[in-house]
Amino acid sequence: MSNAWPLVRALRDPASVRGLDGAGWTNLVSMARAESLIGSLAHRLKEEDVPARVRPVLDDAIAAHQLARQQALWEADCTRRALAGYSGKVVLMKGTAYVAVDLDAGIGRSIGDLDIMVAREDLKQVEHMLLDAGWEWVKPDPYDDQYYREHMHELPPLIHRDRDRMIDVHHTTLPLTARPTPDARAMLDAAVQLETGQYVMAPADMVLHAVAHLVADGDLAGGLRNLWDIDQLIREFAKGDEAFWVSVEERAKAHGLAPHLARALRLAARLYGTPVSQSVAGVGQFSDWIHERRLLARDGWGRETRKLTRLIFYIRSHWLRMPPLMLARHLFVKWRKGQGAA
Amino acid sequence: MNPLQETHLAIGPARFRIALAWKQPLELLKRLYADYPDPDDGFADFTVRLEPDKPWRRFIRPSVHISGDFWLPDAAPLPLEQGLLAAEMGMNLQMALGWRRHLLLHASTVEKDGRALIMTGLSGSGKSTLSAMLGERGWRFMGDEFALLCPDTGQIYAFPRLVSLKNSAIAAMQKELPDDRFGPLLKATPKGDIRHLKPAAEAIANMHEPARPALLLFPRFGYEPAIRKMGQSEIFVRLTQASTNYVALGEAGFRALTEFVDQVPARAIDYQSGAEAEEIINRLWDELAS
Amino acid sequence: MSQQYKLRTGETLIEHVLDSMTAVFQASSGITHLVTDPVPAILEVLSDQFVDSDQVAERLQRQFDLQADADVAAVVAARLEELWQLGLVERRTAP
Repeated sequence: MSNAWPLVRALRDPASVRGLDGAGWTNLVSMARAESLIGSLAHRLKEEDVPARVRPVLDDAIAAHQLARQQALWEADCTRRALAGYSGKVVLMKGTAYVAVDLDAGIGRSIGDLDIMVAREDLKQVEHMLLDAGWEWVKPDPYDDQYYREHMHELPPLIHRDRDRMIDVHHTTLPLTARPTPDARAMLDAAVQLETGQYVMAPADMVLHAVAHLVADGDLAGGLRNLWDIDQLIREFAKGDEAFWVSVEERAKAHGLAPHLARALRLAARLYGTPVSQSVAGVGQFSDWIHERRLLARDGWGRETRKLTRLIFYIRSHWLRMPPLMLARHLFVKWRKGQGAA
Repeated sequence: MNPLQETHLAIGPARFRIALAWKQPLELLKRLYADYPDPDDGFADFTVRLEPDKPWRRFIRPSVHISGDFWLPDAAPLPLEQGLLAAEMGMNLQMALGWRRHLLLHASTVEKDGRALIMTGLSGSGKSTLSAMLGERGWRFMGDEFALLCPDTGQIYAFPRLVSLKNSAIAAMQKELPDDRFGPLLKATPKGDIRHLKPAAEAIANMHEPARPALLLFPRFGYEPAIRKMGQSEIFVRLTQASTNYVALGEAGFRALTEFVDQVPARAIDYQSGAEAEEIINRLWDELAS
Repeated sequence: MSQQYKLRTGETLIEHVLDSMTAVFQASSGITHLVTDPVPAILEVLSDQFVDSDQVAERLQRQFDLQADADVAAVVAARLEELWQLGLVERRTAP
């Protein structure tokens, strides 16, 4: 049980589960839960003949994600009502967007917080409308608050006092300090309106937002799920739209995300067998292999493995998000707070 | 990374894989759960992980971090001597956050003649102690933590893991039962002193037998003996609060719970001693349980 | 300019009477609402078309044989606005 390959293989090729014994299934389920992919896996295995002991586990996952889907749409509707008097675009992001448009990427996807994007100049107004409608600040810490406002790509998270659900209000897709700075204005302009009056990103932007999350934004924690999003989005968008690859490539250049897109495509093709445009994905690099190892760092007990690679990625992820001086300041304040708490 | 050692437990309808970084709590678990059916096919519904919270905590002042398939971000670690409690909390956590095949009520349950008595209340209400006591007095012990209400049939299923006796209940049960029924005394845990008790052989042998809910009690320990009728809305609200997965089950949970409230007579009872409680329970059982 | 209300399109509400209150399970949110009179009667009136608070009050007065009373209209108007905030009903400005 050295890495998460059995999970990747089961998502890619459901028939691969046929040889699993009891222990193999238990490992697979633990890995899938740890990577927040159990719902997607359960849907992929719907037609497979699985052991009687496993079927209820998968059925539970399907039911749990049905509820997640419903709650996500409900939260979106709650913001629709709260922001009924706001004239700008409210763009649903990530999982909520996938289920709002009924994309394959939304099937069985776990959805936690609601993420929405609005124009940067409207943040204050949106913030006040949400506070009026029952959302409250989560973090009472003034340093964190200041940090969020100055450097991040979202308001400090808000939580609804009755429903206990969080909302992240973004004004761009990556922290302002991150090296690539996707063009938020262009994303808003291209957004597509839903029947409810809210918006989702246009297909190319939606893919690039998922890419930004995977490669530029995080330490690749939960990366297999992000990569699965990318795989599913690309399969659906590229099918029957010959212009998709051209538009996503152009758009990636405009957002400064071309190398990130290329890397994500190579990883998706390597792990999930995603059909990608060779010219957009470019040639493989040695560092792809390190990324792949990091993505697969999960053992059969559901533990993250390869601590060292993880640490390298964590530091790297902070460097990507913040210029070095700011990073030092951030770590120093965090350290002092840690001391104070000890 | 250190490999973990594992043991598998089947408790009622749920199966757990308990993976640990240490041998000692593993041996203890195996001994105390020796009479339970042995799931030897490797399948598990949940994995519980008990590991050091920092690598050196495996050896130096070893402390157990509880995690698994379902976990809470702020779970405090326990000292290694309390490994048994950690395993129990880990299993409870998986059930509370992950189980969907029944509506979970945070309650203890005992059964007689195919009918179930369900006792729910805040911690300190004595529901666990009462179920342990009744389990030695002609009732079948079905569980001291969760009552599993089946949304399809309305029946209660058992989850009879080790009883976790707390504080004064420990001495009371020690007087009645042989030493080999008990685990080690765990002193000064976050929940006070705890000693685990193996349920009676019959409770383990019949753990797959459901029972029809016949009486619901809300016991409260430490008050003048009293019996109080309750309105359906109050019962409903308190049961939604006592359920860990009411919201997660959606419409099925709503239907199961409203039907339960319609059909099962309920009372709040106050008592000051086990004997008092037993007397009240027997009286209400004869009067109300059909 | 009056507001009109109606149950959300495609919404399923399951009601269950519990002595003094009614538990209402709302399928689209998964939320259980506990409501008292006259809310169940109001929901009943709102089931098929947009109506304003005066129309709801009038229907309730007929149904329960109440005296025409400004209080009823005020109570109904307040409950309707709460129901909208909870997401149980849709609201629009009367055309």
